[in-house]
Amino acid sequence: MPDTRTARAKVLWGRLLTCGGPQGGTPSTRLLGREETAARASCARQADCGCPLGAAAGCHPAPQGRRHLALLLLLAALPLAAADSLTEQGVAAFQQGRYLEADRLLQDALKADPNDEHARTFLALARAATGHCPEAVADLSDRFQKSANPDLSRLAGLALTQCYIAQEETDKAIPIAGQLAARYPDDADVLYLAARVHMRAFNDATRRMFEKTPASYRVNQLSAEIFETQNKFAEAAAEYRKAIEKNPRALNLHFRLGRAVLLESHSPEALAKAQAEFEAELALNAGDAAAEFQIGQIHNACGRTAEALRHFQKALDLSPDFPEAALAVGRMRVQAKQYAEAIPLLERVVKAQPANEPAHYSLMMAYRNSGQPDKARSEQQVLEKLQRPPEGEFTDFLKRLGEKAPTE
Amino acid sequence: MKLFAALAAALALAAVPVPGPDFRDIARQAGLTTSFPNGGEKSKEYIIETTGSGVAFIDYDNDGYLDIFVLSGDGGTNRMYHNDHNGHFTDVTAELGLTSSGWAEGVCAGDYDNDGYTDLFVTYWGQNRLYRNIGGKRFEDVTAKAHLTQDRVRYNTGCAFLDYDGDGRLDLFVANYLKFDFATTPKAGSNPYCFYRGMAVNCGPRGLPFETNLLYHNNGDGTFEDVSVKSGIAKANGHYSLAVLAQDVNDDGRPDIYVVGDQTPATLFINQGDGTFTEEAVMRGVAFDENGRELSGMGLASADYDGDGLLDIFRSDFSDERSLLYRNSGNGQFDDVTMAAGLARNTRFVNWGCAFLDFENSGWKGLVVVNGHVFPEVDRQNIDIHSRDHATLYRNTGKGAFEDITAEAGPAFALRHSARGLAIGDIDNDGTLEILANNQNEPPSLWKRSHPAPGHWLLLRLIGTRSNRSAIGTRVTVAAAGRTPQVDEVRSGGSYLSQSDLRLHFGLGAATRADSIAVRWPSGAKTLLKDVAADQVLTITEQP
Repeated sequence: MPDTRTARAKVLWGRLLTCGGPQGGTPSTRLLGREETAARASCARQADCGCPLGAAAGCHPAPQGRRHLALLLLLAALPLAAADSLTEQGVAAFQQGRYLEADRLLQDALKADPNDEHARTFLALARAATGHCPEAVADLSDRFQKSANPDLSRLAGLALTQCYIAQEETDKAIPIAGQLAARYPDDADVLYLAARVHMRAFNDATRRMFEKTPASYRVNQLSAEIFETQNKFAEAAAEYRKAIEKNPRALNLHFRLGRAVLLESHSPEALAKAQAEFEAELALNAGDAAAEFQIGQIHNACGRTAEALRHFQKALDLSPDFPEAALAVGRMRVQAKQYAEAIPLLERVVKAQPANEPAHYSLMMAYRNSGQPDKARSEQQVLEKLQRPPEGEFTDFLKRLGEKAPTE
Repeated sequence: MKLFAALAAALALAAVPVPGPDFRDIARQAGLTTSFPNGGEKSKEYIIETTGSGVAFIDYDNDGYLDIFVLSGDGGTNRMYHNDHNGHFTDVTAELGLTSSGWAEGVCAGDYDNDGYTDLFVTYWGQNRLYRNIGGKRFEDVTAKAHLTQDRVRYNTGCAFLDYDGDGRLDLFVANYLKFDFATTPKAGSNPYCFYRGMAVNCGPRGLPFETNLLYHNNGDGTFEDVSVKSGIAKANGHYSLAVLAQDVNDDGRPDIYVVGDQTPATLFINQGDGTFTEEAVMRGVAFDENGRELSGMGLASADYDGDGLLDIFRSDFSDERSLLYRNSGNGQFDDVTMAAGLARNTRFVNWGCAFLDFENSGWKGLVVVNGHVFPEVDRQNIDIHSRDHATLYRNTGKGAFEDITAEAGPAFALRHSARGLAIGDIDNDGTLEILANNQNEPPSLWKRSHPAPGHWLLLRLIGTRSNRSAIGTRVTVAAAGRTPQVDEVRSGGSYLSQSDLRLHFGLGAATRADSIAVRWPSGAKTLLKDVAADQVLTITEQP
């Protein structure tokens, strides 16, 4: 959760906002949650993150690809014993980045023993590292699929994926990256490569779209979504407006525009503009529970409690499994001291989403206010458990930051 | 007949005209022209530059008029301005012995030695200072004598005097933000906690080590003892504490301590009456927002905004967060009513100093909040969040809600500053309240209405005898005009690291008399005054 001020800042309104993607999905999945905003905040500050528009702005990986591959393999290579045999000498040369020498030694080793698995694998790796992917792909593929040694298989898979990326064969790289991720789910190199592959695929599809259908409203829509990832919300809103002009009947555009307006500003004027867009979305699709929910949120933020409740309830009626709407209705019932109606709703939400912190908090308050202190304390304990930061490498890193004692 | 009288009073109250308050900044003509440095203006390299400093309204020489004390960041001195009784203030810093240096953060006032003169405590990144008021003629730095020297460099922030053990002597609570030093704090952009909206900015508070809060017991001989551990205060770790509100939140006659923290849950220390406190913020509903999530708490204010006789709490928070209103539902239990109260709309400001004030003397306390961003770099983003911004003024509708009247509040509310501390007081004893704010790298603001507030009023100066002489912790209930009685409490500290007038101000609307004034002193003693004429500064002394 880098850029914590931004990520946290969006928590409040994040619940008011809906995410893009396809027009389908439940109302809940269209809501922009904390994780997405955090990821977006992170994304916004990384040069190579989400750079599809940057297809024209430095997103071409080819010139860098070979060097990345070499570094990756060098760093990930296996530790080996002293280099006595040709194979060992070749692997040692590979580890030290002397790929041409490794290539020669490993070829000699294979001549001596054509069944030497290590020599075959590392020869393919050396060739991949020196940019000779066409000569390496067959062996890399073979070793990735068949090697009984998980370390060799991993290395071969990584190199094979890199080769496909370098050869601009993203469609072949994607399944390999997927298999790698399934086999090595906690491996940073594997996850990094998977991210690169999908980013490349996104860039390729975007480029094709811009080339083949430049006048389509979808181009404007996608541009808008990309601007959103870059925190350029005014530009995003402008692109959504162009898309609406081209296709006034298209679903989700007014919705996304309303969201972009809110991401740009929370001023009273912005709230009014956003509300108008959500209402326009409802005019196209009266069954859009997420749009109803958004309007409820805006009324709520403006202190118009009765109107807010009406829209939240409508959203819930339209989509009974919409947890955010159920939570909003439940919370407003608590405020009105209608505990008999509120508590079952909130209990339903925590049952459906056991990790939903706002729901547990609201339920805790409902129990407290209705004179059920034991149940309230129980919810408090659940909340405390949920609020503990997850264990993991990044958390550990942050903990270390926090533990550093300043000079006094 | 009784019904008729009540009706007449209600009609009279309704007849009070409500023009815009028309606040003007009179700082320049009042003589407040010195700029107070506080870190970088275009960018801030370290978090120490962001937290800024408080202000205080205190009557240090007991001449009946509020003086002004303004804290400074590094490179300047804190300054005391004497009220000349003619709308002008004179800088008396040097002659009072208050010239200082360093990063001053917060200020709180109280007569800790019960000698009749209000003393000052100033918190620092570095060594705090206790200034003993010597007969209103000068201040003596008695920090070391009072055993308040700290064992290490601390980032002290909010403070408040309170008599937590009811012995008639003021004890002292000091919030601590985090552990900071220039040598080891990472540079902007050096880790994930050093970014804001994609920009490399100063690091923290996340990623910097926590620090614990402090409670000092007044020994009665001019010294204090650190009782942070034995009182239970130090048990609460994991909070970046800033503002302090010391008041009796559960109405049991004992002062409790509420502290908001930056990016961490708030803490509420409930006084157990045996010298210890228990932390109960979550279950009492004041740790989080309505989603159960911690916000970045900056400032604190308290008032009975809805006239139910219970003191509610407002906390100011960061931009893109809501500043929250917690309604006291009795027994010290609170509910987040921000949305319903109409306070959820202004999320584009980083809110700091805040105070409830009856700026119309209507009998309903409005709310003022000053703003300014911690990252001046935000101006590069071309969004509606700015490093310097205008303050916000809310009118209390009297129906459990507030309306934002900033646009009609006068030219002072159009001025953009990076403000931090804020205090409220009546500098000319005319019953109309003024607003004082500390602006980073600028002179302070002093805002005054261009015309008097329309309603009648009372300004109560309370003097303890068995209780602490400043009467801190005294609760007063004023009944007038047939409406629900108004409640308030004498507080040290509060707002954002600031000290407002220790006197209590009550607007009475059209009522020319208060039916009753009920005083509950910290000692437990009670005073009841009946049929008190309005429009006066009234001194009430506790019966010995």
